[in-house]
Amino acid sequence: MAKPLAGGTELLLLIRDKKIPTPKYLLDLNTIRKELSYVKLEEDKIRIGAATTLYELSQSILHKDKRYAGFVDVFYGFATMAMRFYATIGGNILSATQYNDYLTLLTVYEPELVLVSKQGERRLTLEQLVLDKRKLAIKPDELLKEIIIPVPPENSSSSFIKFDRRRILIAGVVTGAVLLTLNDNVIEDIKISFDMVREKRVPGRAKKTEEFLRGKELSEEVVEEAAEEILPSEMERVSDWWTTAEYRLDMSKVVLKRNIFRAARRIRGGK
Amino acid sequence: MVETIRVNLKVNGKQYVLDVPPDERLVDTLRYRLGFTSVKEGCGRGECGSCIVLVNGLPRHSCLTLTATLDGAEILTVEGLAPEGKLHAIQVAFLETRGVQCGFCTPAFMILTKALLDKTLDPSDEEIKHWLASAICRCGSYHYYFKAVRKAAEYLKKGKILFDEKEVRKNIYKLPLLR
Repeated sequence: MAKPLAGGTELLLLIRDKKIPTPKYLLDLNTIRKELSYVKLEEDKIRIGAATTLYELSQSILHKDKRYAGFVDVFYGFATMAMRFYATIGGNILSATQYNDYLTLLTVYEPELVLVSKQGERRLTLEQLVLDKRKLAIKPDELLKEIIIPVPPENSSSSFIKFDRRRILIAGVVTGAVLLTLNDNVIEDIKISFDMVREKRVPGRAKKTEEFLRGKELSEEVVEEAAEEILPSEMERVSDWWTTAEYRLDMSKVVLKRNIFRAARRIRGGK
Repeated sequence: MVETIRVNLKVNGKQYVLDVPPDERLVDTLRYRLGFTSVKEGCGRGECGSCIVLVNGLPRHSCLTLTATLDGAEILTVEGLAPEGKLHAIQVAFLETRGVQCGFCTPAFMILTKALLDKTLDPSDEEIKHWLASAICRCGSYHYYFKAVRKAAEYLKKGKILFDEKEVRKNIYKLPLLR
């Protein structure tokens, strides 16, 4: 069986740790990396080449426009500086675990993913592509080519928080992202994601909480109610070696509140 | 029989043509095939950063890189910073700020410093910390390394790139200890 190799920061470790059967062939994508690495703004969408390195992302429009502020948050908490020069965004998505920060962030942007094979192209949403931990709807003869993000409205911004004991080189006991659209002080639209919400151990959306917040006036009380009452009703955390389910749920509430208010500040031109 | 793949590599300015097995890592090529032992393997999984080298001018963990994928690449290790008998400003700065304790991680920090100072000679404190956080030092020399980056930047800004090794060695012990 052949596996495509881009940055290699995940695949080589999986092989080393024997978490996947050793592939017979590695398909080196470095020869076509230039064609697959770009960030292009086109009217109402942003096209990101799958082999774009995280450093290249940081040099693009994604780090300059407040609508994509979450990308800056992810970047500065991602692995270490040295790794950001060759780890790729496509590789991060296809690693498909709850600790893939770009996956958590992209979930709120509802991107379209372009897969190519000899048979042609097909387009999937993140939910259709990432089925569960390390379970993907990608076929062995397909390559992820492009990630297409719809441009959010002008009055939007996002925020991403990774909560753990260190700032970098750590998985995060809780990670969460929010994409907020404000109309004056009314929540026109909101998308909320966490590293996991329930059952599936991959990033997912907290859709009930979104539903509750949509159309409401943004205030301490509303956000408090969303985080304390609504979120726990749809979230099922798990305990593991690192921490307990209770702690994870508590921190998820905190991360949600901080994310919403930070995104709101950013929409109004703050930090 | 193990198949090999031919790669053209430029390491520290010298051209090599190598036939390597497809699963050979760059750290092994550099250490055991070519003898550049400044490249260290710590964790072997991209966390400690001791194996960082520059590939085409950008830092990269040599333990997570397959040599066979690097055809045509240019690689720099600490050995390539200065020619025989000379020391690079970065090496001098690390000596003078007493950055070296056990020395295992020092080459990686020097390489990171080189990559950072190639980008800018006026890095902010935040930037220096971000870059140096790519490697781990168990002796805890981080604050010395931090000073070393600033000092190296000063030398480079004044155009002082290469120093005479004998001169540096003669004077290094006369310097007061920094605390």
